Amino acid sequence: MEELKFVGKEIQRIDEKEKITGAARYVDDINFGPDLLYAEIVESPHPHALIKKIDTSEAEKVEGVVKVVTGKDFPYKFGLYMKDRYIFAQDRVRFIGEQVAAVVARDPKIAQKAAKLVKVEYEPLPTVFDPLEAIKEGAPIIHPELGQYSHVPWFFPKGGSNIAHHRKVRRGDIEKGFKEADYVFEDTYKIPRFAHCCMETHISVGYYDLSGRLTLYNSSQSPHVQKSLIADALSALGISEKDVRVITPYVGGGFGGKAGVTMEVIAAALAVACKGHPVKVRWRRDQEFYNTYMRQQVISKLKVGVKKDGTITAFQIENFWDAGPYVEYGANVVNASGLSATGPYRIPNIKIDSYCIYTNLPAAGPYRGFGYSEMLFSVESHMTRVAKAIGMDPVEFRRKNAIREGDPLAYGAPMNPNGLLESIDKVSEEIEWGKKEESKDPNKAIGKGFAIFWKAPAMPPNVSTTAFLKFSGDGSVNILVSGMEIGQGYLTAMAQIAAEILTIPVEKIRVELPDTDRNPYHWQTVASHVTWASGNAVKRAAIEAREKIFDVVSRAYYFNKDSLYLENGKVKCKTKPDFELDLKDFVINGIMKEDGYYVGQNIVASGQFFVEFASALQDPETSQGGHPNVHYTVGAAAIKLEVDKQTGKIRILKVVEAIDCGKAINPVNVKDQMIGGLLQGLATALYEDMRFDKNGKILNPNFTDYKIPTSLDIPEEVVPIIVEVPQPDGPYGARGMAEHPMIPAAPMVADAVEDAVGVRIKALPVTAEKIALALAKGEKEPDYYWHIMK
Amino acid sequence: MNKISFMLNGEKVSLYVEPNDLLLDVLRDKLGDKSPKYGCGRGDCGTCTVLLNGKSVRSCLILAVEVDGQEIMTLEGLSKNGLTDLQKYFIKHSSFQCGFCAPGMIVSLEEFLKKNPKPDEEEVKEAISGNLCRCTGYVPIIRAVMDYVKNRGG
Amino acid sequence: MAIAHLFEYYKPKNLDELVELLFRYKSKARILSGGTDLIVRIKDGFEFPEVVIDIKGIKELSELKFDGKNLFIGATVTFNEIIENDIVKEKYPLLWESAKSVASMGIRNRATLAGNICSAVPSLDSGPSLLIYEAEVILRSKEGERKVNMNEFFLGPRKTVLKEDEFVYGVNVPLPNKKNGSSYVKLGRYNGEDLAQVGLGILVLEGNEYRIAHCAVGPVAARARKIEKLLNGKPLSDSLIEDAKKLIEEEISPITDVRATKEYRIHMAKVMLERGLKAAVDRMNGKGTPYGEKLI
Repeated sequence: MEELKFVGKEIQRIDEKEKITGAARYVDDINFGPDLLYAEIVESPHPHALIKKIDTSEAEKVEGVVKVVTGKDFPYKFGLYMKDRYIFAQDRVRFIGEQVAAVVARDPKIAQKAAKLVKVEYEPLPTVFDPLEAIKEGAPIIHPELGQYSHVPWFFPKGGSNIAHHRKVRRGDIEKGFKEADYVFEDTYKIPRFAHCCMETHISVGYYDLSGRLTLYNSSQSPHVQKSLIADALSALGISEKDVRVITPYVGGGFGGKAGVTMEVIAAALAVACKGHPVKVRWRRDQEFYNTYMRQQVISKLKVGVKKDGTITAFQIENFWDAGPYVEYGANVVNASGLSATGPYRIPNIKIDSYCIYTNLPAAGPYRGFGYSEMLFSVESHMTRVAKAIGMDPVEFRRKNAIREGDPLAYGAPMNPNGLLESIDKVSEEIEWGKKEESKDPNKAIGKGFAIFWKAPAMPPNVSTTAFLKFSGDGSVNILVSGMEIGQGYLTAMAQIAAEILTIPVEKIRVELPDTDRNPYHWQTVASHVTWASGNAVKRAAIEAREKIFDVVSRAYYFNKDSLYLENGKVKCKTKPDFELDLKDFVINGIMKEDGYYVGQNIVASGQFFVEFASALQDPETSQGGHPNVHYTVGAAAIKLEVDKQTGKIRILKVVEAIDCGKAINPVNVKDQMIGGLLQGLATALYEDMRFDKNGKILNPNFTDYKIPTSLDIPEEVVPIIVEVPQPDGPYGARGMAEHPMIPAAPMVADAVEDAVGVRIKALPVTAEKIALALAKGEKEPDYYWHIMK
Repeated sequence: MNKISFMLNGEKVSLYVEPNDLLLDVLRDKLGDKSPKYGCGRGDCGTCTVLLNGKSVRSCLILAVEVDGQEIMTLEGLSKNGLTDLQKYFIKHSSFQCGFCAPGMIVSLEEFLKKNPKPDEEEVKEAISGNLCRCTGYVPIIRAVMDYVKNRGG
Repeated sequence: MAIAHLFEYYKPKNLDELVELLFRYKSKARILSGGTDLIVRIKDGFEFPEVVIDIKGIKELSELKFDGKNLFIGATVTFNEIIENDIVKEKYPLLWESAKSVASMGIRNRATLAGNICSAVPSLDSGPSLLIYEAEVILRSKEGERKVNMNEFFLGPRKTVLKEDEFVYGVNVPLPNKKNGSSYVKLGRYNGEDLAQVGLGILVLEGNEYRIAHCAVGPVAARARKIEKLLNGKPLSDSLIEDAKKLIEEEISPITDVRATKEYRIHMAKVMLERGLKAAVDRMNGKGTPYGEKLI
């Protein structure tokens, strides 16, 4: 294989300069002019209630108020995978903070004041916050019309209940598997909700011009999905997709929270209501917590059968997902994680039930890891305990049962090439697994934990992406894509891929942020699939451009096209060693022949990647058949930490993580994803601790009491390890890895705490408080869970 | 309305503000200085950090009227004469990801590195601990600062 | 988010103007110095002042001075000014250590010690050290000046003895007259800035004299008199510490909230008492953990 010059190199980020000078523009940094209007949302104070009456008259009288909008103005539903949500609440509210009305004014202060004058009469309804309560007979039904909702064909809602979707997976014979087992271990794990906490809150500015053109400036991971969903939601007003334009400048963090559509549809509706004015909707930090998505809570019941030699014979899991009152996106988290709920193990007999359950907590949905961060806490905690219970080393147990290439997945399709065993070996060596360490402080104990993980992109089976590439006269290149730079280094990776084909340095390439009018289609920047999918499209666009370049040169100089190649941005010819032609000399203006006539074309190209090998059509009772996931990215991680036995406080001494990304397009960016993602995961494991009161109101929607890590909370040492077992259909073998780093954090922390002090925490987070109280009271398996406070 | 005048990035500005206008909003919406960002509105996150008479402060918790006669410096002011040496190290280390915390982080470091030109790693961590970053895990930022400190002259 | 509530803004140039303004507006006025508490309270809709009086233009209030026996901390002195003051660090290490635990650099550049005590939140970090140093708060109004011992200043959560036309001029902190060692032990949820879930200040003076105060485990920051009484006159020993820990539950009345359970607060107060006492004694003897380093 030829040596790569740009791909695989530690090239500096191409967007860094904009970001460190303050030049980078985020939505709120754009000037919209003096006719900009500001919206303030009127929110429900009830977790579940009927709306009896809305009186907007007092608010409308306030000077400076342009419009007051309520549900009756926009009786339209929206949703990505299931249409169960309205732009504004109609006759019923289903969580505290749900949008009931909006006041639009010339000034944000006026909007705030007037919003307080909107009077809403409610009739409270019975509530349910616990997913296990919500599926009991007689529980309040949150969506009486569930049976009529439209949804993707791979969802199975149960009308008349709170079960919005039930993903069943059945493989082998589960009863036989348990009979064959020498030991069977059962337990329940609880994973509460968490919040993304992007530093930039959601913001959307909508502008519906006097001709009926709707432009939205969104902080978003999903410009094209938003264009299409918003056009669909407003189609009754005659709005068509061609008239909707979504512009997404830099985004201050995504992590899944800015995927799909949430508050952007409100800005779209308000813009339509205030034709001719841009309307800004910017979430406050507290709204960011309760009215976008949170991560879902899941109660996980697990039963695993093993033989004495450590072979897993049977795996049964029931995951009860608390998705809140709107599951239009969250149900697919439940679906995707249901299909992969075994974790990366080869298991012959499998029974998986993944339930998506409506509750009256705020809506929940995708968050970095898309279900895997949640459920692998239970699976990986359990696997360590199973191994220890049969007297086997937990790493050896994983090595023995790790899934290998070609093994059947829970739904039957074969596992892709992967570096799981290599990851296990490298991580266990780096953490010195098996070497017991003693703390110098008698009050403290050191423990180690180990976890393996996997995650597949969760996507519709037919996702696609396109890239446009165009040259300028000086030989520099602009690439138009609609993947989103959300911090992961996407723009730089795309530039590197194009640079590799075109043999020009990344400094000569700009990769443009999405504008759905100008940039071609890309489904959305989720699922850790953009390097793989968009990278393929960019590579193909660069190859097409190269073909056109060769075509021009071969026609001008009568060379055989096959003899041409690119080197350092120049066209060269294998048969004419002294020939070279710089790209800038002809990519726009062509080549003048001896007679003064020109041969040429403007070098523009497109590349596309369309998944044609996936299918979501599976037997609903077993999930057998079909090919719902394009591939899995796998990895392993370990932690060494020190626990203070009196205070419960944890000091993280070392973290190691290996991920098989197929090919690291930019190794420094890959490693930095691991470093950042691990800290995000460790925070959910250790101290991020969302609380609700008994009415389902979030108690800590701020950084004063929802503690996200600071620079003082980083591990003492982090060792990221890149493993590269190429993905056959990936660009240069690459597959995605950006969500994965946070997945193993929680189980390895729980394992290490048990290793250190003998306390097994089965409900996240593993706080100092829980450890200290358990140690003080001599509890080995404490059951502290304060998600909803009494 | 109150008339206020202050030095913004070395230039005198005068304008009318309401007593309840926040410095952050005035800088962004009236003076077009967009690098300080709204992140939490309560002083918890540091994305709105600016220098007030050389000291890093939260512009979301300061009334614009309070800065009458004072000096304000934002990241725009620090960047306007070309990249600072520290900024060059951030580029070298690809320190920031989404970039939203960068203006506040860099402004805090500006104050800190003036006060403490040769800090150790723990002191750097302490100095930026009020500037939250959700992407990077802070390591690439600290990496750049320590590299800069090691290589800076004098 | 913008502040919708409108108020008038005054910035008096001297004490007389301030006194007049407060007399005129009384409870309708709020004093603004660092704003790190007040502005958040106005945004959250907990305060609706008609008048905001910015006291940062008054020179006397910005003084931080030591006369050999007494440290004066003016009302507009920020936590960072306290931390960066060498006399504070050398002679009032407990105050220094607790000031250092407050929030982060950008907040400490604005937040003031006087503002902290006026906010009178149960978790205030400056409470234990001022109680222990037996500071007095200097209050002024049109009627003149009065001095209130720190131990009588707090009346309840967000309640102090301040009258509606009174302001805090500054705080006097007497220098302990004996060799001493101290510690401020603070329980937070992680290493980054946090409000105290338990705060414990300890001062040990030569001759086995102990002063102990807590915050965040009762409606107001307060001295732990029963524990002090038990300890006073006795050299610190493991058995004495055990006896002292037994009194913790009589001294404090913590609640369960989103930050911690009552149970954990009690448990930690005991652990912190033990570590804090040992550290204070060690420090008095010139050894042990340096000031500013975390004890938990």
